[in-house]
Amino acid sequence: MWVMVRARARCAIAAMVLWAAATAAQQPAPSFRTLVADTAAPGIDRGVRDADRPTAARTTATERAAGRDGVVRGSLIVKFRPGTAPVAKQSVLTRVNSVATQSLSYADFDIVSIDAAADPEAVARQLAAQPDVEYAQARYRLHAMYTPNDPLFPRQWNFPALDMERAWDINPGATTAITVAVLDSGVAYRSTSVRFTARAFTVNGVPFPSLGAVTVPFAAAPDLAGPDRFVAPRDFIWNDTDPLDMDGHGTHVAGTIGQLTNNSVGVAGMAFNVRLMPVKVIDGDWDFIFGSPFEGTDDLVARGVRYAVDNGARVLNMSIGRAGPPSPVMTEALNYAVSQGAFVVVAAGNDFLDGNPIQRPADVAERIDGVIAVGAIGRDRVRARYSSTGSFVEISAPGGDMVRNGSDGGILQQTLDPDFTDTYLGGASRYRAPRFDVFAYQFFQGTSMAAPHVAGFAALLMQQGITSPAAIEAIMKRYATDLGAAGRDNEYGYGLINPRAALRGMGLVK
Amino acid sequence: MRLGVGLRLCASVPLWFVLIILMASPTSAQVRGFADLGVTTFTAKESVETVLGSSSGLVFGGGVEVTLPANLFATVRASRFRADGERVFVFNGEVFNLGIPATVTITPVEFTGGYRFDRGQRTVPYVGGGVGLHRYEETSAFADDDENVKESFTGYHVLGGVEFRATRLIALGGEAQWTTVPDALGQDANSVASQFDESDLGGVSFRVKVVIGR
Repeated sequence: MWVMVRARARCAIAAMVLWAAATAAQQPAPSFRTLVADTAAPGIDRGVRDADRPTAARTTATERAAGRDGVVRGSLIVKFRPGTAPVAKQSVLTRVNSVATQSLSYADFDIVSIDAAADPEAVARQLAAQPDVEYAQARYRLHAMYTPNDPLFPRQWNFPALDMERAWDINPGATTAITVAVLDSGVAYRSTSVRFTARAFTVNGVPFPSLGAVTVPFAAAPDLAGPDRFVAPRDFIWNDTDPLDMDGHGTHVAGTIGQLTNNSVGVAGMAFNVRLMPVKVIDGDWDFIFGSPFEGTDDLVARGVRYAVDNGARVLNMSIGRAGPPSPVMTEALNYAVSQGAFVVVAAGNDFLDGNPIQRPADVAERIDGVIAVGAIGRDRVRARYSSTGSFVEISAPGGDMVRNGSDGGILQQTLDPDFTDTYLGGASRYRAPRFDVFAYQFFQGTSMAAPHVAGFAALLMQQGITSPAAIEAIMKRYATDLGAAGRDNEYGYGLINPRAALRGMGLVK
Repeated sequence: MRLGVGLRLCASVPLWFVLIILMASPTSAQVRGFADLGVTTFTAKESVETVLGSSSGLVFGGGVEVTLPANLFATVRASRFRADGERVFVFNGEVFNLGIPATVTITPVEFTGGYRFDRGQRTVPYVGGGVGLHRYEETSAFADDDENVKESFTGYHVLGGVEFRATRLIALGGEAQWTTVPDALGQDANSVASQFDESDLGGVSFRVKVVIGR
């Protein structure tokens, strides 16, 4: 089982395959980790790791361009100068064919009726020119616009692409009543120190020495953790209750689902008030180096699915997958999840450029209502080059395409800083023990990044009142914005998710 | 029926109505006013109940009636139905309430011609039929202007009732009306009406009325 490709350049991926093959025969008995301290210093936030161009935030101008100026016709706001006699007021109003004024409480101005067909701005200018009028203005309709104050939000093109600001007006990030399980490489969810034994290994013929016993610091991702944020953590790779992320993938995915939002820090997430359940079912490089007792295999994932459901998760995100033969064990687990009322989101896979093999367990999605497989689009709303295609692709979401759309064309979230985790990438001379308490905001790409958008979306829908997994899948498909060939197709499925339209649902006529 | 032949027909009805009044002999025609209050049960029962919580609702109205020679009469009546509900999602017949407030307002203006079985007694039955212009508005929270609905549809109706003369100038009546407003609902695939395959905005109304005039 492998993690869907993450964005940062990992030249070592191929090398790691060779390394794994080279070391498989000499793999020693797994070592076990020891919790050294139950607490540690808080995580270090090193900010954004590249110099991307900022993206324009939503403005009033863009609202107007979209035809949403919201001016109310048939009336104006007028403030007469103090002491203006009623007769004088009426004289002024007569010039604009006004028939009445309306005095309001808590107001030192009047609402003046004008011809409904008249241009309110033009009439306001006409009135404002009168000596007895202090000011006159058209009445513009205001509406809530939840634009998070997270300073890096303008660089998250993915949320405006989904019209999330207006979707959050309807449902601002769900609540703690919804738990989303992140079945992944773990999540940076707590501060601790753990002692491991780092064994020797070889990459492309280059030997890396054993580091012996090392004490490794972990910290909760500062822009993800909060009181009561994490629930029922479970690690199936180390077979304990500490699903510590030693890769960064799971922490990034969790960020897209529920990054703390409107906290004046970093970036935003889709369903930023939900509880997160870290369930570690795939292993990273350091899990291997430290000799984890288990690897991320079909059975572990199946157990992780059942664990998450049995412990209260309503939405499961699985940004994981593999090619190869079908997996009955995962299929049955997914059926079980849906039967228990959980909605499951699966990444469709990143293998389009590698022969486009069928992806597991994404292939199951088309056969189970309540499990959805998610393809990726880039910033240009075109299918990402890598995004797998096939009949199992049911929906699309932003996953980024950094080849076509540049380095800021990925999905920006907070995760582990690779300078402190991927120490083996600098060669044997720079190889050292990792730190998992240093964080950065990074652009990743992949259907791994697309899936958590849909998981967050599902959480919002559940909070809004749609509790059936099959109904959640149906509403996502019904309101998707069709992309590519008309109707459902193998590249985009039913199209790009449209959270706002889905959250609004149906009226009697429209 | 949406705007088109039906609307043109409907739009010309006020002209007929004025002509009838002008042509009526001043000595034989009587102009009367009336107000009414009643209950309408919509034909699109499931759709209306899903959004508004009930398939029926109170309607109040009023208008002008002209009695003509040969026991004929013509009326113009405006009425209003307004109810609050919430937006929903319907899947396989299951309704999920989304908690987003919605308000439906229907304002028909109806023109009716008919016959009064007036045999000089205090109780006068009558029957009639006509055409109406039904203004439909549906608004909801979080909606942009173009997401709210403001449309007009043409409808047709038949009615019957009984009028009881209480005093020289006041009569009380009871009236039943069946209205059809075809193809008004369910045109949008993402509407509740389309989920229940209901398209008629009409319904059956029962009302009491007070008539002022001779």
